[in-house]
Amino acid sequence: MVRSRVATLGVAAVLLAACGGNGAETAQKKTELTLYNDKGAWSKYFEEMGAASKQSIGLSMKPTGYTDSAQYQAFIKASFRTNVKPDLFTWQTGGMLQEIVKQKQVADTTAVWQEAIKAGDLSQDLAPYYTIDGKQYCVPMNVAYWGMFYNKKIFDEHDLKPPATWEDLVKIAETLKQHDVKAFYHTSVLFSFVWFEQIMAGMDPDLYDRLSTGQAKYTDPGVVAVMEKWKELIDAGYFMNPGDKTDPGDVLKTGKAAMVSFGTWFNTSMTQRDMKAGADYGFFVIPNVNASLPKTSMIFESGPLCSLAKAADPDASMKYLKWWTTAEAQKKWAGIRGDVSANPKVTIEDEALGQVTKDAGSGEYRLVNRYFEATPPPILTAALDGFSKFVTEPGTYMEVLETIQKEADEYWSTHQ
Amino acid sequence: MTRAPILGRFRHGYVAPAALLVAGLLYAPFVWTAYLSLTRYDGLAPPEWAGLANFAKLFDDPVLLSSAGNTLIWVVGTMALPVGLGLLVAVLSYDIRGGAWYRVPFMLPYALSGAGLAMVWSPVLSHGGVANLLLGVDTAFLQKAPHNTIAMLLVWTWQQLGVNTLLFVVGLQSIPKGPIEAARLDGASGWRLFRHVIWPLMRPLTAVVVGLALVASLKTFDIVWVLTQGGPGRNSETLAVTMYKETFVAGDYGYGSTVAVALTVVAGLASYLYLKRQVR
Repeated sequence: MVRSRVATLGVAAVLLAACGGNGAETAQKKTELTLYNDKGAWSKYFEEMGAASKQSIGLSMKPTGYTDSAQYQAFIKASFRTNVKPDLFTWQTGGMLQEIVKQKQVADTTAVWQEAIKAGDLSQDLAPYYTIDGKQYCVPMNVAYWGMFYNKKIFDEHDLKPPATWEDLVKIAETLKQHDVKAFYHTSVLFSFVWFEQIMAGMDPDLYDRLSTGQAKYTDPGVVAVMEKWKELIDAGYFMNPGDKTDPGDVLKTGKAAMVSFGTWFNTSMTQRDMKAGADYGFFVIPNVNASLPKTSMIFESGPLCSLAKAADPDASMKYLKWWTTAEAQKKWAGIRGDVSANPKVTIEDEALGQVTKDAGSGEYRLVNRYFEATPPPILTAALDGFSKFVTEPGTYMEVLETIQKEADEYWSTHQ
Repeated sequence: MTRAPILGRFRHGYVAPAALLVAGLLYAPFVWTAYLSLTRYDGLAPPEWAGLANFAKLFDDPVLLSSAGNTLIWVVGTMALPVGLGLLVAVLSYDIRGGAWYRVPFMLPYALSGAGLAMVWSPVLSHGGVANLLLGVDTAFLQKAPHNTIAMLLVWTWQQLGVNTLLFVVGLQSIPKGPIEAARLDGASGWRLFRHVIWPLMRPLTAVVVGLALVASLKTFDIVWVLTQGGPGRNSETLAVTMYKETFVAGDYGYGSTVAVALTVVAGLASYLYLKRQVR
C-alpha cells in the first residue's frame, strides 16, 4: 500500500515538474522575433518584411497570423499571464489600446516616436492616436483612409464618373439600378458599421465625435436621421444582399456590386486578385451627405504594432519597432501590399491613393477616426450586432438604436 | 474471498497520471469558471467580486432568452431529424439485401469536422449561393430567425444522420433473434413487431444515442459560429455561441462564465434526468 502511494506521488511529482516552467525570467538575446497578428491573409507580406529586416538590422521576424480577431485578442490577453509571449503583436488603437496600456502590458515607445518625428518618418498628426497620458505606445503598423473602390469597367460601360457630390453618388446608384447592377456592397458580418459611420461622418461629424465619447445618444434625432438615410438607400434597392458571403474583393472583381467601401488596405485584395488600379478599378473619396460642411469627412484608421512591457528581449523588440517606422521598411511594406504608408517620405505608386494621402496630409479633409477604434469595445460589440440586424431588417432601426444606447448607458455610467 | 485487483499493487500509480490530467485540465478550469461567474472580469484586470449580479443579468437578458429558444430548437430538431431519421434509415435498410450500401451515402459526411461542414455549406446557403440557384429562389437562408437555425439544423442532419444510423444498426444486430422469431410465429410483423418487440429490446442503445445527441445539441457551437456567427443581430445564437461571444468578443469574461455555468447545469441536469429514466 505504502509503495503504491509512493509511486503515485512520484508520478505526480514528475508530472508537476514537467508542467511547471522555470519561474525566473531571464533576459534573452534574440535574433528572430515572433510577430503575432490578426491579419492571417497578410502572412506572405509579413514574411517578406521578416526577410528584409534580417538583411537590414540583423533581426528576422516570423509572423503568426490569426484570421479570427476574437480568438486573437483572447490569445494576446492570455499571453500577458503566461510565458508564451509574442515579441511583437498587432492591436487596435482607441479603447482597446487604452485597456492594455492601463494594465501596464505595453512597452512605452515615446523615444521611438520622438526620433521618428524628428527624422520625418512619422507625422505629429498621427501621435494622438498612440498617446495615452502623455506617452506613446506602439508604432503604426499601417494607416488607411476610407473611400469607395469601384469597378472601372462597369463605370465605363455605363459612362459613369466618380461623384463630386452625394447627389451624384445617388444618381450613379440609380443609373446602375436601372441596368440591373447593384451599386453598393454591404454585409451583416463584422463590417456592418461601414455605412453608419460614413453617412454620419458626412452628415454631422461633430455628432459622430460626441457619440464616441458618450456626449450624445444613439437615440438622438441626428443619429436617427443617419439610420433613416441609410434605410432610404437600402429601400431604393442600391445594395446587394448583406447575406451574400462572397469575399468583397471578388464582389468588386466580378461586378456583383459596382462599389465597395473600405479602407485603402483593400487595395491589397485588389493586388491579390491581379487587378490593376486605373484599368480594372478606381478609388474615390465619398462626398459628404451634407454639402454645407466646410470639409469632406474622410474615415481614417491606424493599426498599431506593439511590443510587451515584459518582452523576452525588450531591446530587440524596440529595435524592430524603430526599424518599422523608417522609410526603407515602410517603402517595402506599402509597396508589396499596394497600400498607403504612415511614413510621409514614402511615395505611393497607386495614383489615386497617392493623391488621397497627399490631400489628407495637407488638411484638405476632416479626418474622422474609424468607428471600430472610436467606439468603446462593449458598445462596439452591441453596435455591430445591431447594424447586422438592421441591414437584414431595415425597419428595426429604432429598436437597434435603443439596444445600442442601452449598452452605451451602461458603459458610460462607469467610464466618464 | 476478495478479488485481486487486475493491475496489482501499483494500481493507483497507473491511474494517477490520467486522474491528474483530468483534474488539472477539466475540473480545475471548471472550478475557475464557476468562480469567474461570480465576478466582473475583462480578461485583463484582476476579477472583482460581483456576487450573483451576473446570474441576475442572465434572467433579464433578451439575447439569452433567444439563445435558449434556439438551443431548444436544436435539441428538439436533433431528436426528430438526425436521431429519428437515423432510426428510420437503420430499420428500413437493416433487413434488406445490400442494405449496407444504402447506408454508405449517409455515412460519408460524418468524416467532416463541424467547422469544415459549415465551410462547405456556407457558399450553398449564402444569398445568391448554390441553394438559391438550384431551387430557383431568392432567399437568404441564413438571415431570418428561425429559418437560419432550421437551415443549419438540416445541414447538421446531413452530417449526423449516418452515424446515428450506424449506431442503430449495431443495436438491431445485437438484438437476440429468439424473441423476434417468437413474435413472428405469434403473427406479429411490421409496425407491431417494431413497436412491441424490437424497440423495447433496443432501449439500452437508444438511451445512449439519444443521450449523446442531447448533449451534442445543447452545446451546438461550431456550425453556427462558422455559418452565421450567431447573427444577424444575434438571432441565431445558441447558448454555447452566446457564451463564446460574451467572453471572447465582448470581453466580458465574468458574464460569459455565467452563461457557461448555466449551460453546464442545463446539460448536466438534462442528461441526468434522461439517463436516470432510461438506464435502470
